[in-house]
Parts: sequence; C-alpha cells; structure tokens
Amino acid sequence: MERRDFLKISALSGAAAALDACGNPEHQLIRFIPEEDLTPGIATWKPSVCTLCPAGCGMLVRVMQGDAEVVRKGQLGLLKMGLAKKLEGNPAHPVNEGKLCPRGQAGLQVTYHPDRIRTPLVRSGPRGSGQFKEVTWDEATKQLAGQLSALASGKQQDRLAMVVPPLRGVKKSLLGAFAAALKAPAPVEFAFLDGGVVAAADAASFGPAEPPTADLGHSNYVLSFGADFLGTWNSPVAQSLAYGRMRAGRPGKRGKLVHFEPRISLTAGNADEWIPCRPGTEGALALSLCHVILRDKLAPAADAGHAGTLIEGWAQGLPDFDPEKAEQQTGVPAATIVRIAHEAATHQPAVALAGDSATAHTSGLFNALAVNALNALLGSAGKPGGILFTPAWTPSLGKTAEKSQAGGTLPALVKRIQSGPDAVKALLLFGANPVFAAPAAMQVREALEKVPFIASFGSFIDETSILADVILPDHSPLESWLDDAPVSGTARTVAKVAAPAMEPVHNTRGTPDVLLDVAHQLGGEAATALPWKSYDEALKAAFAPLQHEKGSVSATDPDEFWSKVREQGGWWSAEEKSLPVGGGKGSGVAATAAAPAFDGGADAYAFHLLPFATQMQYDGSLAHLPWMQEAPDPLSTVMWGSWVELNPATAKKLGIEQGNLVEVASQHGSVRAPALLAPGIAPDVVAMPVGQGHESFTRYASERGANPIAILAPMTVTGTDALAWAATRVKVARVGEGKIILFGARLHEMPEDVKHR
Amino acid sequence: MVIDLDRCTGCEACVVACHAENNIATVGEDQAARARAMHWIRVERYYEGEFPNVKTKFMPVPCQQCGAAPCEPVCPTFASYHTIEGLNGQVYNRCIGTRYCANACPYNTRFFNFYNPVWDKPLDLQLNPDVSVRSEGIMEKCTFCVQRIKAGEVQAAAEKRLVKDGEIQPACVQSCPTQAMVFGDLSDPESEASRLARSNRATRLLDELGTFPKVTYLQRGSWHDNENA
Amino acid sequence: MTTKTPEQINEDLLRPLEGTSPRYLAALTFFVLVVLAGAAAFLHQVYAGLGVTGLNRPVFWGFYITDFVFWIGLSHAGTLISAILRLSNATWRRPVTRCAEVITVFALSIGAMFPVVHLGRPWLAFWLFPYPSERGIWPNIRSPLLWDFFAINTYLLGSVTFLVLPILPDMALVRDRTTGWKKKLYHVLSLGWTGTPRQWSRLEMAMRIMAVAVIPVAVSVHSIVSWDFAMAPVPGWHSTIFAPYFVCGAIFSGIAALIIAMALLRKFLHLEDYLLRIHFENLGKLLLVMSLLWFYFVFAERLTTWYGNGSSEMAVFWPTQSGSYAPLFWAMVVCNFVIPFPILAIKKLRTIAGTVVASIGVVIGMWLERFLIIVPSLSHKYLPYSYGSYRPSFTEIIITVATFAGLAMLYMLFSKIIPIISVWELKAGEVTETATAPALARPEQVRAD
Repeated sequence: MERRDFLKISALSGAAAALDACGNPEHQLIRFIPEEDLTPGIATWKPSVCTLCPAGCGMLVRVMQGDAEVVRKGQLGLLKMGLAKKLEGNPAHPVNEGKLCPRGQAGLQVTYHPDRIRTPLVRSGPRGSGQFKEVTWDEATKQLAGQLSALASGKQQDRLAMVVPPLRGVKKSLLGAFAAALKAPAPVEFAFLDGGVVAAADAASFGPAEPPTADLGHSNYVLSFGADFLGTWNSPVAQSLAYGRMRAGRPGKRGKLVHFEPRISLTAGNADEWIPCRPGTEGALALSLCHVILRDKLAPAADAGHAGTLIEGWAQGLPDFDPEKAEQQTGVPAATIVRIAHEAATHQPAVALAGDSATAHTSGLFNALAVNALNALLGSAGKPGGILFTPAWTPSLGKTAEKSQAGGTLPALVKRIQSGPDAVKALLLFGANPVFAAPAAMQVREALEKVPFIASFGSFIDETSILADVILPDHSPLESWLDDAPVSGTARTVAKVAAPAMEPVHNTRGTPDVLLDVAHQLGGEAATALPWKSYDEALKAAFAPLQHEKGSVSATDPDEFWSKVREQGGWWSAEEKSLPVGGGKGSGVAATAAAPAFDGGADAYAFHLLPFATQMQYDGSLAHLPWMQEAPDPLSTVMWGSWVELNPATAKKLGIEQGNLVEVASQHGSVRAPALLAPGIAPDVVAMPVGQGHESFTRYASERGANPIAILAPMTVTGTDALAWAATRVKVARVGEGKIILFGARLHEMPEDVKHR
Repeated sequence: MVIDLDRCTGCEACVVACHAENNIATVGEDQAARARAMHWIRVERYYEGEFPNVKTKFMPVPCQQCGAAPCEPVCPTFASYHTIEGLNGQVYNRCIGTRYCANACPYNTRFFNFYNPVWDKPLDLQLNPDVSVRSEGIMEKCTFCVQRIKAGEVQAAAEKRLVKDGEIQPACVQSCPTQAMVFGDLSDPESEASRLARSNRATRLLDELGTFPKVTYLQRGSWHDNENA
Repeated sequence: MTTKTPEQINEDLLRPLEGTSPRYLAALTFFVLVVLAGAAAFLHQVYAGLGVTGLNRPVFWGFYITDFVFWIGLSHAGTLISAILRLSNATWRRPVTRCAEVITVFALSIGAMFPVVHLGRPWLAFWLFPYPSERGIWPNIRSPLLWDFFAINTYLLGSVTFLVLPILPDMALVRDRTTGWKKKLYHVLSLGWTGTPRQWSRLEMAMRIMAVAVIPVAVSVHSIVSWDFAMAPVPGWHSTIFAPYFVCGAIFSGIAALIIAMALLRKFLHLEDYLLRIHFENLGKLLLVMSLLWFYFVFAERLTTWYGNGSSEMAVFWPTQSGSYAPLFWAMVVCNFVIPFPILAIKKLRTIAGTVVASIGVVIGMWLERFLIIVPSLSHKYLPYSYGSYRPSFTEIIITVATFAGLAMLYMLFSKIIPIISVWELKAGEVTETATAPALARPEQVRAD
C-alpha cells in the first residue's frame, strides 16, 4: 500500500472514529450541509467596508472554507462555511488604495470575538447586573415592537430616543426614515472623537461642512496643529499614503512636516520639527504665523478671502498676534514663529491642519478658524497640495427620509430624560457607548437608568448596553450589508457598498433588517414609509440614481449596475473634484476668543490633562480586540493597559518613578494608572490614553487600565456643542507601586552603531 | 526587502497584518508582562534629546533574512536553515527548542512559544489555513510570508511566466499605509527592491556584524538636504 | 601513615561499606526528597511548558544553562586533576584521586542533564543524536551544541572508564571479605579481577593511556562549552579568550569542589588518617594558582572590552560593572579572589578549614560567573529597544537546588558501595614509597596533621 493511500484511509476512518469515539460531548457535533460552494484551500477576496472609524476605508476580505462550530435552529454543529481570514485594503478604493491601518485589520476579531452576543437577550437580573437570558428573535422583536406600538397608541412617540454613533450613507438615511416614520425625534449621534468642530469651522470659513482632505502628496510644507493625522485623526490611511508621497514619493523633493502640540503623538514623532506649545493656544500660534506673513509681505491679506475676514483684526495685520506677544501666550519662541512663517510662505504649496486636542479646547473653534485663515493665506484652500473638500455622496431614500432632521446632542438628551418622570420612555441604542465615552459629570448612566425601556442593537455588552432590557445583536460588519459615503480622504464622490463577506457565525440579525421588520410589524405609516423587505433592497434603491453619473461603474440596466457595484465594493466618481471653497457662512470671531478656559484652578490643579486616542484602541471602542491590546502602543510601547504620561522632570519633582501608580484627580473625579516617563511631553501637561478603563467590555478589556474621560469637565468648545475634552486641569500624586507592561525598553537612545539612521 | 524610514510612521499596521497572516498568538497580559509577547515584526522607537528638543525615530524590524545568518549554523537539528531562495527558514517540526538561534540572532527577531498558543473560541476561526500553528516549546519567526511567496510562484508557474516584480507582497508590505516597505527579488538587479537597495540612503542594520542582512533601510532624509540640493 | 598496616587500611577504608548509621539515612532521605522535588518540578515544566521558568525574550537562557556550564566546569575536578597528578607521579594524590574522579562522573552526568532540562521539547532530545533515523536528516555538525554532545559523551565515557578501572581491585578485595549476596554483587562488580601480574600490568598500562588521553578531552570539553557562547555574535560572548578562560574557571571550581568533598568525607567517614592536611594544603596551592589565573583572565577580558569601547560591548560591560548586575559581579570577585587569595596565600591560613572556606567561596563565585556570562549579555544584545532582564522562577531555583542535593545523594550512595579512597593504591604507596615525602611538601609536614 502506498503511504499516501494509507494516509487517506486512516484520515477517513480516523476522522469518523474521532467524531464517534470522543466521550466529550463537545465533540459530538452534527455536520450541517455546507451552504456555500467554496473550493477548499482556495481563497476568494470579497469587497467590504471598514466601519471601525469615520474614515471609511474600502477593504477586501479573504474568505476561505473552514469548519465552524455554529448553532443553527438551536442545535450545535459543524458547518463548512466561508470564513473571513484576513482584511486588507481594497486597491481600487480611492480613499485607502489597498492599505489598511492596524485597527481596520483587527476588525476580523470583532466577528470572531468570544464574548460577542450570540443570540437575542432579555434582562433577567436587576438593571446593570449583566444578567440576561437568551430568547428567540421572535420574542425579542415582539418586545421591541410592543414597546413602540404602546408609545404610538399613547401618542407618545416623542418620548422615544435613539442614540447612534455618527452615521453616514444609506444607514443614516434608513435610521432617519425609521425615526421619522415613527414620528420620533431624530437619532442622537454620539462619539467621543467627532469631527464636529473642524466641520463647523470649515463651514464658516470655506462653505463645506466637513473635515478637509489634506492633499499632502503634493505639499511641500505641512503645518499640523494637534492633528494626529498619521494616527487616528480624520482619515489616517489616506493621510498616511499622502504623507509617504510627500516624504519620498517625488524624486528630489521632500516636504517638511512641522507639528505643534504639547505632547509627542505619532504624527509629532514623525515631524521634522516638533514644537510644543501651551495647550489651547494653537489658534494664536497660527495667527501669529499669519501676522508674520502679512507683516513681511509674503502674501497679501486679501488672499485669505472670507476665511481671513472672519478673524477680528485681519485687515489690520493681526496686531494682537505679533511673535513676541505670541511667545508669551503660546510658549513658542518668537524667532521660531518667524522662521516657520517664512519657510511655509516660501515653500508652497503649504498646508495647515487642525484637529484633536487643538480643537478640543474651549478655544477649539477659534483655533480651527485661525488655521483655516492660515490655510487661506497660504493659498492652499481648495488647491492641489492644500486642503480639498470631498463632494460627499448623500443618498436619498425617498420622501420620508428627507423629513428626518438632525438629532439633538447627548447632553440635550440627558437633560430631556431628567426633565421629568417618563420624559423618555424608550431608548434604542445602536452601538454607541456614551456611558464610557462621555464624562461622568454628564451623568449619562444616571439618566439612562431612569429610562423604563432600553433596547440595544450592539454586538457586545459594554457599559451602556449592560443597562439594556433587551438586546437584539447585530451581525458583525463582515456578516452585514454595509454602505458608506466617506467625507474625507479623497476628492472623489465615493459611495461604498458591500454584501456580507460571510454567513453569520451566531444567531444574530442585521439591525437594518430588524428595523424594517419592526416597522412592518407596526404597520400603518411606518410600514409604508419603509417598503423594503430587506436592507439590501433599500441599498439597491439608494444606489440606483448613481447609474447615470459618470463613475467607476458603467452599466446599461439597474441589475447589471447593482451587481457591478457590489463586485467593486462601491461606486466612485470618475474625476477628482474638490467642492468649491469660498462659500463660508461664518461671521466675525473676536480675537479675545483665542484664550482657552480651563476647568480647575492652576493652584490646586497644576497640570493640564491631555487625553488622546491611541493607535490601537482608538477611542476605546476597539479595546476588546486581543490584537489591539497586545500590539504595543507605538510611542509608549505599552501593552494591555493604560498609563499616565509625564515629563521626567515633572516626575522627579513629584517623586514619581516609572511604573509607579499615580492618581490623576480633577474637580470631577480621579483615576489611577501607572506612570510612564517620556521626554516628549511638556512639563505642565500630563497625558492619558483614551480607550482603556472599561468596566464591562468583554474579557479582554474589562477592568483594565483607567478611563480619563470619566474625570473630564463637561465643558464645551465655545460656539459649538462639542465636548472640550482637553480643557480639564488635574493634580497628580504618587499613590504606590504599580505595574506597566512595556514591549520596548524605555528611554533608550539609538546605539551608536545605528544612530546615523 | 527595503524599508524607507523616511516614509515609515511607526503606525504598526505591519504588526497587526503579520499577526493576522501568520497565526501569531496573542500571549495575554501575564505573559506579555514577562516579555514573551510575539511580534514577528516590531516597530522600534527611539527618543533622542530632552524636552523640548526631542527627536523620535521609528524603525520596523522584521527578521533580516541574513545572507550569513548567525541563527542557522547553531541549530543542532537544522530547524533553522537557509532556503534555496535565500530565506532563513524555520522548520517548526524539527525544532526541539534549544533557543540557541534566538540567542545568536543579533536582531532579537526570533520568538519562542513558552506555552501552547490559545485562541478563545471562536477566535480560532480567524486562523490562516496556509500557515501552520506552532506548538509549545518551539521557535518561530518572520518568514517573509513564505506562503505568499510560494503561492505567487505557483500561480506564475501555472500561467507559464516568471514572477512579476511587486507581484508578491508579504502581509506587512501589503498593509503599509505609507508604502514604506518594498519587497522584491534582490537577485534581479532590475527589481524595485534592488533599485532602492542601491540608493545612497541605503544602510543595513548591524551590517558590521557580517550578517549580510537582506533588509535594506533607507535612511531618513532631511528637509535641509532638499534645500541644499 | 607509616604506622598503618594493610589490614588497618582495609578496616578503615572498607568500614563505610559495612553498615549505615541513622544519621546517614536521615541525610540521604533529605537529599533524596530534594532530588524528588526537583524531578517533580521538571515534570511540571514538561507538562505545563517552559513558561514556568523566568526565561523570556531576549533572555532565552538562564539558570539552566548557568547550571549546565557550572556542573560541567565542576566536573573538571576529578579526571583532569587526577590524570595530571598520576602523570606527574605526585604520590600525595593516592587518597585523593578516586573521590575526585567520582565528582567528575556525577557532576558531568548532572551537567549533561541540563541541555535536556532546558529544551522546549525535551521529549525530542534524541534528535540531537547522530543516528540514521526515519527523519532522514543528521544533526547539524556545525552547531556547537552538537560538539557539546560529542565532547560531553566522550568525556563522560572516558571518566567512567578512568574511574572504574582502578576500582576493580578494590571490588575484588570487598568480594573476598564479604559473604552472601554481597559477595555475589561484588563478584560481578569486580569483573573477574583475580590480581594476577598480567592483570596488574594491564591495569597499569590502561591507566597510563587513559591519563594521557583524558587530559585533552577534558580541555576540549570546556573549550567546547565556551564555544556555545563564543561562536554566537553576542556582545560579551564573541571572544577568543573564552575557551582558555572557561577551562581555567572549570579547573578552578573543580578543585574547590574536590576540597569541599574531601573535607566532608574526612569528617563523616572518619578518614582523618588518610586525608591529611598536606592534601588540602597542596590542593590549596593549586587553587591559589587557579585563583590568580582566573583573576588574570577576568582582568584581561574586562580590560580589552573596556579599552575597545564598542558601543554594544559597553552596553553589556557597564551593567555588570556598575549597573543592575554589579552586586553579583562584585560578589563574584570577592568569592573568587578577595576571599580565597589571602587565605590560600598566607601559609597560616591554609589549613583544612581555611581551604574549605576558600573553596566554598570559589564554588559560589564560579556559579555567579557562569550566570554573569550568560544573562547580562543576552539582556543587552545590540538593539536597545529589545533590552530585557531576567528573574528566575521557583521551578528553576528548585531544580538548581535539587542538582546540588543530587550530587550529595549520589556521592553518599557511591561511598556506601565502593571505597571512596583507593585501597590498593594507598597500599601500593605504603609499600613502594615508604617515608618518601609527597612531592610538593617538606618531609616534616607529612606527619604534621
């Protein structure tokens, strides 16, 4: 007998024997009939959409056949099914051109997460106890529909609230249509990191109400004010691609990156010059650069157009912002300001970006407007090498959807709930986690506890969904129909859509489908306003008008168009065309707005607290993925935890050593985390990563590290509703020994042997 | 492989791509605290200077696939050996875990399985069927995604043609958002990797040890070079 | 010594074989228990994985390889010294050689265990052996670990032969003096020794050949062990000085171990009349020479490193001189030089107690030296981002302790079965060299103790 034959026989009989003989009931699995016709060992690549951050990158999912232990119709069994194995960028996609950031790649673990909610749940213990019992989908949807119809019959639809993460595309339209059809207030959008301030500033200065697309690939000089555009800000992959081209993509030409921020972020770490400035004074710094450019006649004031005239004193050459005064205010030497202004003005195209902490001070809007003015003065608004604005796709789902308006803010919702008993009778949660991501002082948890009925559509039990009465788990993104319409990262109109890359692993249902189902159960107006049987029908309807636009897909009939769009992972316009700039609607901003205000007196609270989104856990919504916990933070190299970043000189003064447990206290509470001494932070600033410190968020993230958001003051950015999350002052003290897990040895300089690199 | 340090931002997309492609286990908090985390490619970060004049430098370090690899001769069981294509192969089945190769490696790019890897179900469904899962007691390391190289060669052979330059990309290279990494055949002088490896910015890590690393680093440029040019 | 008749010698030296005291049994039980604890720890490690040790990246070698080098080094006590003494015809060697050779065999066996103990997959250790296997692949002869395999095996076989050959006449002696099952046992152990002139001359010849052959083998063993390190491009390891440095250290620790063993035997087996002060003194002088040599090597090695000032080398150098490993380094210098040097150099202090104190220092110091060669280098290897540190786990400590208990246990068992001092050689000395002073001592000293 040939060895190969023997192996074949033994494999056949062995497998059967193994299945039969194992005493462990776990192995007595039924084999379900394969649902898919996949060739074993051959990978197929299916387009998909990354939903983990607002960038909206296009993905390809590597799908291969595998055996999955699944529950089907209440029975555990082995199913040969197509399984997503790896996520890569979609090379055809205009935003990310085949690239994907670490977070996007880790999206795979969302699908296979061991603590994903596998089936609908109904609360069985007291609220917040985390005790749930499994129910069928029928029971769960019936409960939800029952609550909604009770509201409708009592004419109390205004007592329904919906909380969603910032949404775009058809999904936003659908949720809006759902709310409108129920005659309920529009969904409240909430995320810790939202580009609202930048969008508002852009609307005021230039017209388009969206974050800019930085065309770094053609820039010669990049000024970044707090924006961690290589890490987490806006559209990091698109910006990283462009940055690579700026640095080394043009033979003989290498752009310069200057970063202003009190701490070295990933972007600051890559800057040719990192210039620490006092927290919140980025706008003053930008205007001081403008002052020098105007004073030294490097560009005429009129060049800035509307964006310039917004700033008080622009026509007079910004007398309040001469470099000496700016040095006083920002801590940046006057000579440096003059030098940078000259360099930027003489190395066009130059571009300036403001974001993250720079726009999260009370002066945030002013800072963003000032940077916009600088951009305008440098002639970079709407020009190659400057900032462009994406002509974003806004799908339409018909008349009902049009009626949906912007929801209120989270603080407004909290106020509404607390305005009286049963002011909000039912609340629907769509994956947002405001209990974690809003300051404790905003009392989101306390408010939610007062709502009689909460339904969550999330995939995990987190701080917010633990309060839910019924959980209707959504598919993971890879199992769902997805769509998106990026507002940054490209100058093309992009409409993305993706069919499920794989069958659902668990007993979950796509939330849009559940909503359609509930609407049909309710009947009446809701059913007629949402006529689609399933979400993909709605998507097809929304995409249909694009068939006649000039873009990446050409087809003669709607069905062909739809299948080609799905094959390609979306539709994008043929040419790059930035929205026109110049339609700014803002009115004058007083120069006095430049001074940031802080919560907590400088005497009692000596340090500025600078929370920052991390490369791996983002705003905390990815802390549950083991890859994201174990991948070291690029700068601190910390794994599996959080830290308090201190300047070594500050630490010495406070008697704090690396790894000591320190307490960071604001007027609104305190958190504890181990100290990390890093040279790249101003002595009067302490920084803490956002993302850890979950009370309840799966086995990997629960009870790990500290959440600095909890102790933030509920201050807002002047002129907007946005949280000024960098405006809290704190005190810091050592409380004992601590433990910090570092991947890299700390504070070592490069050895001589490799230093020249 | 060529890594342009002027482009690299230290974002670690390569690190996660490598985990996903090569079935690298996460070891968990306790083991990570014992310095047993496994990252076949890591991004080294170095600070220079003190506040406010601090320079930060990032350097991704995968296995350098040395031409004269110190890890290879020391292995008593030929678990680490030189492949015909010039890679430093690691045959997991042969490895008995002397860890001698890891000591000999000047770049510390070899990793040891101190325990059997664990994937909490159903995380095991993410495993790449093209890459074997390693057991307790053996060394593992970057392979330049040998499974991708082989797949590319098989594909080219099936189509009766030579492998095109840039056709094969290890997972790290594929993912790199700044396109800092370029992979190609160094024995082909016309390949993009060969062209970049001849750049005047080209250096090799710990070259003085005579290991003939096959990863070329392109030094950081400076804006002032640009100005003077 | 001259007063002893052959009968008395028989009585004194064979006494330990004839009965066991409760004290002996208690001590043996204690050592056996410690050894069992070590074995249990090892089994646990095999079952759970090497993760139970304190090893990590980049310190992949720790206590086990330290123990390995230490025990292999210690094994140089016996066969090498005994061979040199035999060849130089140092008559004072007669009571010393066997207990020295026994140390070699046991220390070597213990040392040879460690490469297996430290393996990630110890159940596959036989893959190191060159045999035609179904895997169709030979071990890699370029690997110093394979050189180790050959060197240690050769040395072990040589040492066992070297130990066993001169035991045969004594086995026959015991055989002739016992009855019953013991007689049968020793009949087998004596391998048919009848004491014919032919047998005596063959034994003489064999011992002479073995003595010559075993010296280069012994030197090669520790050279090769040193090459485990010196062949790897690791800062602090990659040095030409390593082979002689290791051999010197090995002999150094070996003599120290021998002195301690002899002192214990002398006390517990009441061999005061056989192991004389002169033996300790002569060995003490040898130890002094080795201590000076060792210091010279350390100084030469440190000086060259410091003067060369290579950044990677200095990254290992400073932590051992003034950084986190400095306490261990300076403790080593104290143990290996500062304590033994005055004790051994000043004649008044070179007593039995003095040499034992010095030897204990040396054994501790040499263990530290092995540790300091391995761990600081691995934890500071080139790229500072991957610098690390090492703390042994309980498992490693218990296994290390168990090996010391193991040596004691084996030694105790051995001394119960086989006369620990060569009876016939001692008698031969009485006959042929009566009143002839040992080579290294003045005549009056012979009777001083």
